[in-house]
Amino acid sequence: MSNADASVRPLTIAERLGKVAYRNQGRSAATPHIVVDTAICNSTCPHQCTTYMCPANCYTLDDVGKVHFQFEDCIECGTCMYACDQGAVAWSYPDPETGRGVNWNAG
Amino acid sequence: MDERFDCIIVGGGIAGLSAAITLARANVRFLLVERGEWSGAKNVSGGVLWGRDLATLVPNYWEDEDAAFERYVAHRRLTFMDDGAAFSLDFKSNHFDEAPYSGVTVLRSRFDAWLAGKAQEAIDASSVADESLIATDVLVRELIVEDGKVCGIRAGEDAFYADSVILAEGVNNLLTRQVGLQTEYVPATGLAVGVKEVIRFDAKVLEDRFQLSGRRGMSNEFVGYATDGVEGGGFLYTNRDSVSVGLVLGMEDLRRSRKKPYDLLNGFKQHPVVADALRGGEVLEYSAKVVSTGDLRAMPEEVYGEGVLVAGEAANLVLNAGRAIQGMDFAMRSGMLAAETVIEAVRAKDFSTAIFKHYRTALDASYVMQDLRGFQDAVKVLHSPEMFTAVPRLVCDFGREFFTVDNRPTKKAWQILRDVRKEHLSYWDLVKLGAKASRAL
Repeated sequence: MSNADASVRPLTIAERLGKVAYRNQGRSAATPHIVVDTAICNSTCPHQCTTYMCPANCYTLDDVGKVHFQFEDCIECGTCMYACDQGAVAWSYPDPETGRGVNWNAG
Repeated sequence: MDERFDCIIVGGGIAGLSAAITLARANVRFLLVERGEWSGAKNVSGGVLWGRDLATLVPNYWEDEDAAFERYVAHRRLTFMDDGAAFSLDFKSNHFDEAPYSGVTVLRSRFDAWLAGKAQEAIDASSVADESLIATDVLVRELIVEDGKVCGIRAGEDAFYADSVILAEGVNNLLTRQVGLQTEYVPATGLAVGVKEVIRFDAKVLEDRFQLSGRRGMSNEFVGYATDGVEGGGFLYTNRDSVSVGLVLGMEDLRRSRKKPYDLLNGFKQHPVVADALRGGEVLEYSAKVVSTGDLRAMPEEVYGEGVLVAGEAANLVLNAGRAIQGMDFAMRSGMLAAETVIEAVRAKDFSTAIFKHYRTALDASYVMQDLRGFQDAVKVLHSPEMFTAVPRLVCDFGREFFTVDNRPTKKAWQILRDVRKEHLSYWDLVKLGAKASRAL
């Protein structure tokens, strides 16, 4: 399709997350609200499904196929908590003062 | 700081605020805690609040100039799509224009903030105005349980106590799990991932494109190519000066497919029919949310326990039976019903489970559980692979033949149907599906 229009052109996940308002962006280090035991992802997990199911691409695969997690882009949807059936994801809500997380403008 | 309330409500979304308004009107002393900076700051929905309960909660809300709903639904469309075509059932009727409307589109960050204002007004008008409170930016770490009975909340260094706690914490119901009403690990079965973009237009462009006037709006659901073979569907709803466009994707099927939700959303937006609707818009926000699908197996074991009631999506009260995706209206009704049980307990000075069970009874008697139970078969039919693969393709093939005039001898409609059916489904599958669907819906 030749349409270069922003609403039709496929947006990258980075462009999309660029439109999300996050809390406590000024803080040098926020407290993680999700802790992932990537040792499980990188040893016994048969699908590493969070790397494609997470809507904010917080779980990524590196060149050698290892899973890495960062919570800074998390939009608190909860998908990984259900998607991971291997017990690797410890999920909680971000702390309002010290955590990250979203402030939806539209929602 | 130790405080004691008649009730603590955890969560200032639709369920929690509906409970709050109901409690305030009965002069019950409560504390509502919301973890977002404001009510709505953490809330996402597809976009339509169905039904008329909003008019019960906020009488004549449509006359309020500041009412933060976007548009009322005056035009509905259900679209079957394959990769190149879209076949729609389209319904417009002037009965939709009569208030109280039967559906309004909402953007939760604004809508919930407005509803919280209504809750504050209700508190101010109550006889216990100084003793009830809405507190934002407060995250509840855990429920305080004494002798097996929930009697308060812990937030940061503070503890707050109450005779009853209403959990309206949303689908990621960590506190409901803490007290054992929901299993600690909830599997993906019966859950979906929703992804959405809000795309801005000049109001004039929006109204011309979708043939809207005044506060009239349109709701459009999509099945088929929208999700590229993954269980689920798409939606497009008109707001005042934007549209909400997104997908709801069955979580287990998404895991199997190895596809990314945001890639699927790109594919949906590029479908010619959707692209035509979105041209010229500016993406304002991308969001995502876990969505319950109406599968009763995903529900908590019970919606009440000792000292505690569970309302809204914390109890997985969402239903998509093909007619509409209902969740916010269930949240509203269940929040009101939970509050009514608390009011009954306050008046009787009896906070035992014998009284709390009345919430269960009231919820069962309401349309919420009646529909959730009555449409379980519909939920299953809608989630069968044929519904988002073969059926939409069949419908679009039929449309291509039926609506094309090519100066050759024309087949009768039943002949077209017979021929396209052969391509996509065995006769037996179609009969089975038709029989199931006609019973279930």
